[in-house]
Amino acid sequence: MRPVYVVGAGMTRFGRSELSLVDLAGTAALAALRHASLGKVPVDGVVVANMGGSRINRQTALASALVDRLALYPAAAEAVENGPASGASAVKVGYQAVASGMADVVLVVGVEMMRVVDGLEGTDFVASLSHPEAEYIYGVTLPSLAGLFARLYMSRFGVERKHLAMVAIKNHDHAMKNPYAHIHQPITMEGILTSPEAVVNNPLVADPLCLFDCCPVSDGSAALILASKDIADRLSGPRVRIAGIGQATDTHAVHEREDPTDLRAVRLASEKAFAMADAKPADVHVVELHDAFTILEIVESEAAGFFKRGEAHKAIERGETRLAGRLPINPSGGLKARGHPVGATGVAQLVELTWQLRGEAAGRQVEKAKVAYACNFGGFGNNVIATVLRKEER
Amino acid sequence: MSEAVYGAKCTACGAVSYPRRLVCPKCRGEAFQPAEIGGEGLVLTYTDVYALAIDYDVRYLRLAIVELDGGLRVTGQLLDEEPKLGKRVRTKVGVVRETAGKPIYGLQFVPA
Repeated sequence: MRPVYVVGAGMTRFGRSELSLVDLAGTAALAALRHASLGKVPVDGVVVANMGGSRINRQTALASALVDRLALYPAAAEAVENGPASGASAVKVGYQAVASGMADVVLVVGVEMMRVVDGLEGTDFVASLSHPEAEYIYGVTLPSLAGLFARLYMSRFGVERKHLAMVAIKNHDHAMKNPYAHIHQPITMEGILTSPEAVVNNPLVADPLCLFDCCPVSDGSAALILASKDIADRLSGPRVRIAGIGQATDTHAVHEREDPTDLRAVRLASEKAFAMADAKPADVHVVELHDAFTILEIVESEAAGFFKRGEAHKAIERGETRLAGRLPINPSGGLKARGHPVGATGVAQLVELTWQLRGEAAGRQVEKAKVAYACNFGGFGNNVIATVLRKEER
Repeated sequence: MSEAVYGAKCTACGAVSYPRRLVCPKCRGEAFQPAEIGGEGLVLTYTDVYALAIDYDVRYLRLAIVELDGGLRVTGQLLDEEPKLGKRVRTKVGVVRETAGKPIYGLQFVPA
């Protein structure tokens, strides 16, 4: 396989968009194309990640529409739908196209417009990824799966609501430094947990998880330009290589897992990605995790190998995962505060890490970052993609 | 028939899959008999969920994963005013959702 480089990254601000689905994707794509400064080098492949377009935006064949809007025809184009892991899946498809030699330059765009429907419909749309016969019919939604998971994990490992709140406070704090984040709202332990007003500010969503344990519903798009070494050598700017990608699946119904608190697919995907990258968790300088719920940041950080099982919450207490800490997690604000336009998230994680490795994450830059890791968590852990990026000196 | 919940019992190795599959995860057998799911067990975990999907006109739903005697686990609705981890419950079949006016039957848990 040929080495594959990220030569451009861009995104829209996450939040609420007035654009159409295709224009939103096109806006991120143009930002990434400008960042790459390809000049006359043609884009020969386009991969679009999107989960809900056909249901909530009533648009299909999104990649064909985007190629037209950007006048990139006759580039090859396809859309990838892989639930909340659609973004990293699309990056993987783009990687394979360049690595195999079938393409030299691939534009990968993740996009989602979720705020066109009301909360019930939006929650139901995401809930439709659960098992239709053994979960969905009972009223299972993603927050409920996270609540079931959190109660069991917290009872086993002594994790308290204050630890979940620490994750939320950290990620809101990081997002204050990210102009692309959906949420720019500093929060405090008093405001969301310890004061008498906290129960009003931070109501239950899926006991023991509260409002500030859950990501917002966002519109947004993020894009990457992937290129072969020949092309990357011709471009200026720091060089970021996709060093490893690992993917693993698990049972559809969460109750079937031998230990439902073990995020096995995160563990296996991460092991594969690290093996491919010839790296280990201790080599990583900056991390983006899929904190759709605060509990997931804690447990993913253990399953990925950064902390021993049951110990991540102690590292959080010590501030190790803060921007200034030993291992900054979610400098972007994560899904919690950057927002979670589902199909865009996996791409946005890698946009942030590309900026971090290039030294372009103004205001939230992790100094001397050379190796970066992202976890894009699909379903409730039944389809996970881990990616390792590495900065290469020229 | 529609008012009971069935898993799939592999005719080769006897393992019960719930939910059903086309291939047995234990022995890769492809022949199954329906196996009615139910009985007594312990609450492994539960949650009160306020972020509801369509079809529900309630303030919240109490959902649980229960480990049945014998080890099979199931997800369902917990009908218990005093839920607790490890509490003993038994299954019953009831209407768990109504989609377009049509009742859908599934597992509910009540104190044993």
